[in-house]
Amino acid sequence: MTKSTETAGATTSYLRIFERFALIVVWALLILFFSVLMPSSFFNWGNFAILFASYAPAALLALAIIVPLTAGDYDLAVGATLTLSSCLVGVLNVWMGLPIVLCIVIALSAGAAVGLFHALFIIYFRIPSLVVTLGTTSLMTGIVQWMTNSSTIGGIDNSLIMAVVGGRIFGIPYSFYYAIAAVLVLWYVFEFTPLGRRLLFVGRGREVARLNGVSVDKMRVGALVSSGVIASAAGVLYAGTLGSADPYSGLNYLLPAFAAAFLGSTTILPGRFNALGTLVAVYFLGTGITGLTMLGIPLWVTNVFNGGALIAAVTISQLTRGREATDIG
Amino acid sequence: MTLKKVSTIGAFALLATAGAVHADQAGIDRAQERLAVYSNEPVFTSPGEPFDIKACVADKKMLSIPNSSANPFLKGIIDRMRAVGEDIGLEVTEWENQGQPSQWVQGFDFAVRDGYDVINLISGISPDTVLPQVQAATDAGVKVTTSHFYDPSFEPNELLSSTLPVGFNEIGKILANWTTVNTDGKAKIALIVSREVPPTIPLVDGFMSELAENCPDCEVVQEINVGVAEWGTKIQSSVQSVLQANPDVDVVIPIYDSMSQFVVPALRLTGKLGKVKVATFNGTPFVLDYITDGSVSMNIGESLDWIAYSTVDATARDLCDLPIPEKLNVPFFIFDKDNVALAGSPAQFDTGYGDSYVSGFRTLWGLE
Repeated sequence: MTKSTETAGATTSYLRIFERFALIVVWALLILFFSVLMPSSFFNWGNFAILFASYAPAALLALAIIVPLTAGDYDLAVGATLTLSSCLVGVLNVWMGLPIVLCIVIALSAGAAVGLFHALFIIYFRIPSLVVTLGTTSLMTGIVQWMTNSSTIGGIDNSLIMAVVGGRIFGIPYSFYYAIAAVLVLWYVFEFTPLGRRLLFVGRGREVARLNGVSVDKMRVGALVSSGVIASAAGVLYAGTLGSADPYSGLNYLLPAFAAAFLGSTTILPGRFNALGTLVAVYFLGTGITGLTMLGIPLWVTNVFNGGALIAAVTISQLTRGREATDIG
Repeated sequence: MTLKKVSTIGAFALLATAGAVHADQAGIDRAQERLAVYSNEPVFTSPGEPFDIKACVADKKMLSIPNSSANPFLKGIIDRMRAVGEDIGLEVTEWENQGQPSQWVQGFDFAVRDGYDVINLISGISPDTVLPQVQAATDAGVKVTTSHFYDPSFEPNELLSSTLPVGFNEIGKILANWTTVNTDGKAKIALIVSREVPPTIPLVDGFMSELAENCPDCEVVQEINVGVAEWGTKIQSSVQSVLQANPDVDVVIPIYDSMSQFVVPALRLTGKLGKVKVATFNGTPFVLDYITDGSVSMNIGESLDWIAYSTVDATARDLCDLPIPEKLNVPFFIFDKDNVALAGSPAQFDTGYGDSYVSGFRTLWGLE
């Protein structure tokens, strides 16, 4: 091996390390930037505690997206599943008087049913996941409008609100820790279990995985059902955060969640959808939006920030990797 | 400086301070006086001369096109208009739609083809959006009207046969006066608006002008402008940020009450629920329930049934070529913790406003 080859190898290695932690460095710089501008209001623990808690449903939704994405399927219906779940909790608890725990179980089961429904059309009928989940988004939106009379349902059992944002650990409401728990579970499954490896193989090449004895269809069904259940859990968290169930607003979380999922795939394990990276991306975007809002900047800037950060991060990541192919679409 | 000069300057300073205090108190008193009318049970006032409504609407048909049939507020108005119409012999039909302009266009075509006499655009459809259809309907002899859309200060589209504006400016003034009175004239306000919605402009103008007149020490610390489609994703985080950056904010005003569902969690997370006052407008039932549990302080409501009666009244007058009222004849009513029980438990859309309008309109129409 020549000296120049060794130097090139070391440079590539440094670039890879830089790439893994670049988003975290930029996040730290962003925090520093806003802290200098607003030392008392931005740089205090209370602000970060609220930021961590209020983006917990968005974090869960982004996690719901990366599971089927890793297996090579899109789930565009996660926003509608979140809405369906939160409205089921509202209708069953407030209007029908069912106990809140039973409502949560039914909402999570509904998420699993949504995943199975997707699997039926995507895997059995072989319809592209984009088409199926786009269709079920509209289907679920209509069902939600029917069952809620298009009205917001207030008065959800206070015990759910208390369980989500009522208590705090280190000043941070519980909802953040639910999201962290989900991240750790997914991280462990993706990185340290044969199941996670098989899921990755399925996403990278279905035929190769099949020839190696992986049950591709079962893996895809599992990923879609997991996505439905996690999105439903996000809906329960959303209902607990709001204290009400709104038939419309959940759909708007879809694009920010996708942005976080793709942005997250540029960090920690670049080129792969990963739970830790997704969490970092959600809170990086959340920090930017919070700081900009506190500065009094018009809210359209936050959309520019979301989209700009996503495109810039993915582009820089690709350039760093010499424009090699990745599994991120 | 001599002792005499110091004394003179001190005396002037005291007088100036006393004058300012006096002016502040006068503003609070004025605001209190202007609020009084909205705190009592609404009373019916006649929108015009008595007339024979059955003769005016005999064999007539009206097609009501709401901004979106998914909006329970608008659906509620049309359902009640249909009931009033059955009582007097006016056939009222709703053009069900999901808020898409192409569906509104279809509604116009249907009305012209099916021989309707009047098309009523309810709350949110600007005639400018469907101008060719308004022209075609007018040419075909179908009257086109709007209700619950313009502010009286707006210049209505000249093709309209008649229009029933709502006093959005007046609502802004009520919000300002309530804020003045309930903060002793020292409010620090976070104002949440959607400037893309046309009524927002006169409402905010009314709020700011009344605040300037009656509450010189009140301050709008930050205006948060959020598009309707982004209420769910932007309001909560924005309110949290504003409260963190400005801990002295003591009033949050989401000008449309459905915004409140995202304001309340922001207050809860920042530990300010029940400490920061929330004042809003629309009288939506779940927000009235927020008053019951102490999350929201006040909500300005209007009766859907009253709006329905008022709209049918004006439509019939239009069909008979009688003078049209200058604005929707529906009073505003302030719900707060002292009277929210009137709205029912859980709160309902049409409860708490009294029923003086029913006999009032029926007498006016020659039915009683």
